[in-house]
Parts: sequence; C-alpha cells; structure tokens
Amino acid sequence: MLEIRTLPDRIQLAGRLDAAEADHVDRALKAVTGPVLLDCAELDYISSAGLGVLIEAHKRLAAAGHALTLTNLVPRVRNVFGYAGLDRLLKIV
Amino acid sequence: MVERRFPRTSASLEAIYAYVREFLASHGIQEEAAFDVDLIVEELFTNMVKYGVGGQPEITIGLEWKAPSLTLRLEDFGAPPFDPAQAPAVDVNRPIEERRAGGLGLHLVRRMADRLEYAYEDGRSRITVTKRVGT
Repeated sequence: MLEIRTLPDRIQLAGRLDAAEADHVDRALKAVTGPVLLDCAELDYISSAGLGVLIEAHKRLAAAGHALTLTNLVPRVRNVFGYAGLDRLLKIV
Repeated sequence: MVERRFPRTSASLEAIYAYVREFLASHGIQEEAAFDVDLIVEELFTNMVKYGVGGQPEITIGLEWKAPSLTLRLEDFGAPPFDPAQAPAVDVNRPIEERRAGGLGLHLVRRMADRLEYAYEDGRSRITVTKRVGT
C-alpha cells in the first residue's frame, strides 16, 4: 500500500512503491508541471517498478528544464538506488 | 518447503508479502530480512506476470528455511521458457538519458540473491533463489 500526498512544496510518499503502485505515482508525477521535490521519509520499500517511474519522471522533467529531487530516503531504500547505479544519476539530497 | 499459489496479477503482491512475513516470523528470522526477500519475490513474480503469456492463472511460490539460508522457489506452468540468470546485464554506468526500467528488476535480484537457478521441464518454469539471512 502506498499513500501519495501532494503538498504545495513537495510530494510525500508513504508506504511501499512496488509494481502494484507504480502507475499511481506515475500519474501523480505527470500531473506536476514544475520542479518536483519527492519526500521519501515514509517510503519503506521500492522495487524496479518504482525506479522505472522515477527514471522516466526525471527525463520528462529535465526535458522541460525542471528538476526531480528526492529527499529523506531511508537507508534500505537508498541502497536500492545504489544497487541500480541511480544514486549517482538522480538528484538525492 | 511450504507452497502457496497466487493469482497471476500484481494485485497479489500484498498477499505475497504477508505470506513471506508469516513464514519469516514462524522461523524467528529477523524482520529486516523481509525487505530483500520481498524485493526478490516481487521482481521474479511480476516478470512471470508480464511475460508468462499462456501460463496458468496461478503461480506457485515456495519457501524453505535451512539455516542460514532461505530458499525461494517460483513455479509457472504453461508459460514460455525464460531463464532470468541468462538475462543481459544492466550497465549501471550509463548516463540517465540511456537508462530505462527494463532489466533493472533482474539486476536487483542478482545483486541481492546468493544463488539464482532456472529449470524448464514439461512446460514448467522453475526459478530457485537462495539467500543467506540473519536470525
């Protein structure tokens, strides 16, 4: 289960971003037209389906001159980005 | 080995995580192990869902604990053969513009699993993963 909270200054993800939830996040990110700050403090889990959505969101936003920034990743989730080599390619603060 | 069948849909994932947790708890295995096990089983299961055209409506997931290793087995009847151990490697050094989701799941499985085996016999694909976990 995943909760997506769209706030004025950020999008918060809470729960598990897996293959069953990836489409929901994709839709939420596609609805944003400017830069995106994705707060992952309560994101407990991510799989390749979630990584794929973030890769595509990064490309789409970059093409429009905007940034996708990920923040507050818990260590286990951050490890998955590291295994995929995405910790060096995506903006993580 | 205990086994359970799950409908061939990503909507089965919640029930699969619950099954994994129940199994780990029954063997006194640390909750922290669940993250890697969930990820391995999700990636392999969703691959079977996506590419198992013509397969039977359910996929069987088996779990076995022989300290210090957990064995995970997925069986798919009727689907075309696909050996995840032979899937091309992902080049994690490529720039983001050239990166895509395809192949990342099996890349993560190979990073997290200690052993990944595949067998195809009489129309049945069987993937067996072994992983050492703490108790």
